[in-house]
Amino acid sequence: MTRQAQRGQRVLVVRCPAWPPGDAPDRAAGPGPAARPAGQAGSAGTAGQAVPDARAFEQVIDAAERFSPRIEVLRPGICAFGARGPARYFGGEDELGRLVAEAVTRLGFDCGVGIADGMFAALLASRDGLASVLIVPPGGTAAYLAPRAVTVLGEPELADLLARLGIRTLGEFAALPASEVANRFGPPGVLGHRLARGLDPRPPAARPPEADLTARIEFDPPLDRAEQVVFAAKALAGQLHDRLSAAGLTCVRIRVEVARSDGSEITRLWRHDGLLSDLAVAERVRWQLDGWPGAGDRGGDPVDDGGGTGGVVALRLIPDQLVHAQGRQLGLWGDAAISDRVARAAIRVQAMLGHDAVRQPVLVGGRSPAEQGLLVPFGEVARPARPAGRPWPGRIPAPAPSTVYPVPRQAMVTDQAGALVTVTGRGLVSADPARLSVDGGRPLAVTAWTGPWPVTERWWDPEHACRKARFQLVAADGSAWLAVVSDGRWLIEASYD
Amino acid sequence: MVGGLVRAGREIGPGQGPVTGADLLPVLPALADLLPHGAFRRGSVVATDGWSLLPLALAAGPAASGAWCAAIGVPEFGVAAAADAGLDLERLLLIPDPGGNWPQVVASLLDGCDLVLLRPPGRLPAQARRKLEATVRRHAAVLLVAGDWDGAQARLRVTAREWLGIGAGHGRLRACRVQVAADGRGDWSRARSRWLWLPGPDGSVSVADGVAPGADRPEPGWLEASAG
Repeated sequence: MTRQAQRGQRVLVVRCPAWPPGDAPDRAAGPGPAARPAGQAGSAGTAGQAVPDARAFEQVIDAAERFSPRIEVLRPGICAFGARGPARYFGGEDELGRLVAEAVTRLGFDCGVGIADGMFAALLASRDGLASVLIVPPGGTAAYLAPRAVTVLGEPELADLLARLGIRTLGEFAALPASEVANRFGPPGVLGHRLARGLDPRPPAARPPEADLTARIEFDPPLDRAEQVVFAAKALAGQLHDRLSAAGLTCVRIRVEVARSDGSEITRLWRHDGLLSDLAVAERVRWQLDGWPGAGDRGGDPVDDGGGTGGVVALRLIPDQLVHAQGRQLGLWGDAAISDRVARAAIRVQAMLGHDAVRQPVLVGGRSPAEQGLLVPFGEVARPARPAGRPWPGRIPAPAPSTVYPVPRQAMVTDQAGALVTVTGRGLVSADPARLSVDGGRPLAVTAWTGPWPVTERWWDPEHACRKARFQLVAADGSAWLAVVSDGRWLIEASYD
Repeated sequence: MVGGLVRAGREIGPGQGPVTGADLLPVLPALADLLPHGAFRRGSVVATDGWSLLPLALAAGPAASGAWCAAIGVPEFGVAAAADAGLDLERLLLIPDPGGNWPQVVASLLDGCDLVLLRPPGRLPAQARRKLEATVRRHAAVLLVAGDWDGAQARLRVTAREWLGIGAGHGRLRACRVQVAADGRGDWSRARSRWLWLPGPDGSVSVADGVAPGADRPEPGWLEASAG
């Protein structure tokens, strides 16, 4: 559905040469700055002497917003919007282009307007159509691009390489087989090749009007059979997907909210990534209904089969984290190949317990054992802030403990005389540890110990700074512990058994 | 008809009939001697005495051979220790808190994973327990219980443990020499016992045979090299 929408995309680009390509890269403009016309419309403040403020371009955006509510600003000086709808409303592309150009010129800026299939061709057309309107007819993009030099792709290295191979125009480049281009030139080559063939690497996407994209349905009378709700969910998902693809957007996750007549409501977030079909969304709604414990609270009775707890009164599908549709088919579950069977089992448990209940561990860098394991909810991609495999001075040496308590356990470590063992500011132990009691349990004799390993963390940050000392302790029953003492309080962080 | 026969064959369960490679789930080489056939028998329930590095190491072998593993009810799962023991973290699901309806969670995961490592949050009535055991057989999975399980085919226990490398105020924990004993029903009726490095100095698991426990023994080379 998205692909089709992309294929039929007509894009209108407005280019005002008063704002030359500055720091922001302008792929289509090529290496040289766009030519500034001599006959700059002499209007107050913007006459040829200086480059106008980027904020001044807001006026142009305002002008363009009269033609389409969704304007994408590529950089100050260039903005674009989908031309299909506006063209129909304003009486054809010729008329639309003329009106837009007129509106911008009236503000005192010279402008070029280009309309073509896709952003790249439209950008070039806006340059060619300076002080006029240039329309590349639908399907004519490849022919329009063919005679152009490969340098317009804005990839100097690629252009250089192609020129040395005797390929000087986009037409010649487009004639190469796509697979060979991918082999020989890599990702920049593939992108350039798509552009040269008149395909669009990305549809225009605009500031997303988020509230509008929620798909909701109310049931009156309430539905008491899951089948009916799932059926409605499928249609609702279709609506949502249509709206998203019309906006050139996709969502990373989808939030499903189900409300029942007894006032209870269950909300779940599902990974979407633009890869779920209407049916797949409906299936997730079904799992969510199946996983709804009768009491409305997790951990209660087994699943109630729908009798007596009230029907479903409303269903809402809310796209979460909108992103521009890339048309890319990433592995849904990250890099590791996860079989459907595993994914289904994991998602089923997520439906029962919540998105965060099923996790996948990732190793990250850190000093203490608790910092070294990051638990990522299943279906999300981990982006650890502290990658593993880098040196961490003060890291607890291997072997790693098998048991790392999420909440450290209370402990008492005493010496022969029964006094609490403490560590001085200079890192000296008050006495040899002799007894260890965990969680107020029976004291065990300490047979071996080592420490203190002083830790001063985040000394630069008075709020989070902490001074503590770690010990490894072996008790008489053979158990080995990682303990930490801070301000005279002992905690067990991990166990090595 | 044929399907019915195959299904019936599956329902026979462990301890009966010939064992083929497809019925087995490999474990780490160091642990193979402890298990009949040198591997887990699919459809079986194996218990250990509580959560420790032993169930973690037992789960490492299947994950390394491409099986998926789920660990249920272990919020204190040592991720770094698991990786060092050879457990492939990319094939591991963690369900730290399975909630009150945990048998249902276990059954769901048995459908997707080859090995489910469970620390039971509570005791199950015999009927629910047998239902879960039937699920294990139906999906030809292995349920590894870190705790008590009445219907377990086998039980592995740590019977002796000795930490090396650490003294009174010096050194550090370097390795642990552990005696593991296994016994049970059927294939497991012959009791086995092995000395293992659990963990070894780099966190891996290896056989520690040939080194008798006690005071007068040759120290392994890595201990001398790192002394002082």
